[in-house]
Amino acid sequence: MADVVIEGLTCRYGDVTAVVGLNLSIADGEFLTLLGPSGCGKSTTLAALAGLDVPHAGSVRVGGELYFDAASGRNLPPEQRSCGLVFQSYALWPHMTVAGNCEFPLKLRRVATAARAARVKEALKLVEMDDFADRYPHQLSGGQQQRVALARTLVYRPQVLLLDEPLSNLDARLRERSRVWLSQVTRQVGLTTVYVTHDQSEALALSDRIAVMNRGRVSQLGTPQEIYDHPADPFVADFIGSSNFLKGHIRGTADGGRYAVELPGGQRLMALSGKTFAADTAVLVALRPERLDLHAARPAGDGQNLVQARITGRSYLGARTLYLADVGGTALRIESDLSFNSGEVWVGIPEASCVLFPAEGSDLS
Amino acid sequence: MTTAAPASGIAPRWPVDRGTVLQWSTALFTLVLVFAPLVPVILQSLMRAPLYDGIGVFTADNYVRLFSSQTLREAVGNSMVFAFMTTLLAMLIGAGAAIAVGRTDIPGGKFIGELLLWPLYLSQLVMAFGFSIMYGPSGYLTLGVQAATGQTPWNLYTLGGMAVVAAICEAPLTFLYCLNSTRMADPALEDAARVSGAGSLRTLWSITLPLMRPALVYSAMLNFTIALELLSVPLIFGGPVGIHFLSTFLYDEGIGASTPDYGMVGAAAVALLGIVTLLVWLQGRLLSNIGRFVTVKGKASRPRRFPMGWLRWPLALLLAVYVILGVLAPLAGLALRAVTSFLTPLVPVWEVWTVAHLKMIVSYPTYVRSILNSIGIALFGGALATLLVALVAIISQRSPFRYARTLEFVALYPRAVPGLVVGLGFLWAMIVFPFLGGLHNTIAILVLAFTMRYLPTGLGAVAPALLQIHPELDRAARTAGADWWTTSWAISLRLLKPALVSAFAVLFICFFKDYATAVFLFAPGSEVIGTTLLSFWIQGDAGPVAALAMLQVLLTFAFVYGVRFLFGVRVYG
Repeated sequence: MADVVIEGLTCRYGDVTAVVGLNLSIADGEFLTLLGPSGCGKSTTLAALAGLDVPHAGSVRVGGELYFDAASGRNLPPEQRSCGLVFQSYALWPHMTVAGNCEFPLKLRRVATAARAARVKEALKLVEMDDFADRYPHQLSGGQQQRVALARTLVYRPQVLLLDEPLSNLDARLRERSRVWLSQVTRQVGLTTVYVTHDQSEALALSDRIAVMNRGRVSQLGTPQEIYDHPADPFVADFIGSSNFLKGHIRGTADGGRYAVELPGGQRLMALSGKTFAADTAVLVALRPERLDLHAARPAGDGQNLVQARITGRSYLGARTLYLADVGGTALRIESDLSFNSGEVWVGIPEASCVLFPAEGSDLS
Repeated sequence: MTTAAPASGIAPRWPVDRGTVLQWSTALFTLVLVFAPLVPVILQSLMRAPLYDGIGVFTADNYVRLFSSQTLREAVGNSMVFAFMTTLLAMLIGAGAAIAVGRTDIPGGKFIGELLLWPLYLSQLVMAFGFSIMYGPSGYLTLGVQAATGQTPWNLYTLGGMAVVAAICEAPLTFLYCLNSTRMADPALEDAARVSGAGSLRTLWSITLPLMRPALVYSAMLNFTIALELLSVPLIFGGPVGIHFLSTFLYDEGIGASTPDYGMVGAAAVALLGIVTLLVWLQGRLLSNIGRFVTVKGKASRPRRFPMGWLRWPLALLLAVYVILGVLAPLAGLALRAVTSFLTPLVPVWEVWTVAHLKMIVSYPTYVRSILNSIGIALFGGALATLLVALVAIISQRSPFRYARTLEFVALYPRAVPGLVVGLGFLWAMIVFPFLGGLHNTIAILVLAFTMRYLPTGLGAVAPALLQIHPELDRAARTAGADWWTTSWAISLRLLKPALVSAFAVLFICFFKDYATAVFLFAPGSEVIGTTLLSFWIQGDAGPVAALAMLQVLLTFAFVYGVRFLFGVRVYG
């Protein structure tokens, strides 16, 4: 097993710079997720780790061995690295059986026939596919193919496990089950794992740490909890769970990082923040729909802001309902498990759930 | 810096990366193969004295004489008019038949479509012989109609007559491209027109035909270039009445003349090369915005067929008559001529029945040699060419080779080189380049020339299939520990096998039926069927020529339908 150290990684495709000076160090045995929208550079980073694309600058080191270094011109070809990569399309070789797929990497490593059979069996057992050894990939369902792809990767005991959106081709139900299963298997083998996804719920459920990427850079690196509760910028706040954004100005400060924010409609919110803001700074207030409360009548307000709103639309989600409410000209999305008819309501906004960002320089102003 | 292998990575086994070695050697071989014949042609066009006298003084004199020669201006004019008429006719026949067979409910469409393709498998030389025997001035059907009506019904020894023959030979290409295009059409587009209120014919005209435009443009260009470089029809029908073409000029001057004017031949070859290169470039430009390869979407639905109502039967009859008169009659003429001492409607066939021609082609050494050479070249040369095609395809599309795109461009360039120019080029290359000199009068030079000429054809059969193989399959093998060559061998080429079988089948047919490339290169001992047919026809031995042509036809059909039966692979799928 090994740790991964990426320094100053830069990848370009023609005029497009996909990854810009990325620094990342992943501890031995850690499960790290690269999370971001398509085109943010997460898959490029993975390909650079595996040696499938040649980066333009920076270095990649795994377990103390230098895989890539632009300065010295060293670039280990993929087959000489020790990475296991599970592809989005699974990339099972269609002309080989399940066992044949798993056996191929061992043949390349000149593993003796008897040992080969035993290791293939062991790997297939791990992913609960040992009954399907003689099938061909096209005879398997998507979920089964994904398991075989993982077995094919684990069978040669790589130092790092790389997963490129392995669940994205599965339907919603299967994806959820596979997530739990994948989590168990990766904990069991204890490999250093880099997981690439654009699905925030996968990232939150699986990872030790998440690196949220945007435009080729890491926007925030932290545990799932840190990223969800304390997003570093409006992009992260919006990408991890969705957020409402309200424009406002700081109008006063109180003790313990409490700020009064005035909204364009004249309403005031109290917000808690670890950051410091000067008076009259333009800010964005990020509010998560699931952290807001709806009330038919004005409740007793302790520790939360109350604003009046009018319901303008609704969409039924099953367990809850998502309401669209108008607050002084700004539309807010609010989730609630109570049922409301359209009309005047009160919205409760807990002070601790207001996340403040300076409005200047943010993507979502 | 550490060189020890990490825990599960694989240490390199070869001191030099074998993938790089293979990529460079394939690229260099292809480069030499493609340019070796072109360089001497261009050199010769710039020199007055023959190349074998050594590199002399460069001059533009040949071109000046070329463009001021009345005969050559006429020849270029004839070539252009002939190519234009041929293209027009071939497009009308091919596109019409494709819509009728592919998109309407006429009875027996599939069967007629199969017969329509036949001229594609056969050499245009053989088809021309068949037409001459049936429809020539003393042809079987010509005399028959003459006897019944008292008038000469047609004259093939005109530009128009030749265009009809050439068009029938080339129509299958248009037919094939348009048929594929109609099959890939999205039926929803037509349904949308119907729902918007367009009738059957209106939909056909406003939706179906415009959607076929890429296929129409592509096949029109192809037809034009083929007609421009065509030798057989102009030589057989134009030669006797003194109508000259660019191709027949090259042939007559390059081979027939006692003191050939090498400079003029070189200049004419470069002129032909230039025109065809321009056309191929134009074709690329016209299709550039359409996408180089249209991939079939994995849709189960097939376009609906337009109901033709009472027109079904007359349409089917029209196509049947075309197939009988245009495809089957010439072949029947060849078959009859092969077993008769002479062929005329005035004498019943059984009275002139003979097996002498058949006996002759299996006993006369030149005939036997050319048959064996043709089979050998098609079989082994085809296999070698398929190997080169596979390497070029995999290197240009699936390798980190720096000059991958250049390699592809070079390998596709022979599309723009007419067969006659290829032959002439290799002939002169053996004089200019000492390393080729030893191949003089061997079938090896034929294999090289055919491989060069048909490299793009082979690539065309493989490239679309390679695009369908997901690149992640390669990348998976690389991360699993395979180097580039192991990946190509164990994954990409293995998955490409069906496409390689069809590439081999197409190359076999091309090598087997070729005559134009070979006319300059064959020598006693290295004859092929095509060259033997041509030289004996010119001597007037129509009987044995018909027998040999028939043998070529039968062997071709045995191969085409054998491959389909054994491997399920369609030649020109």
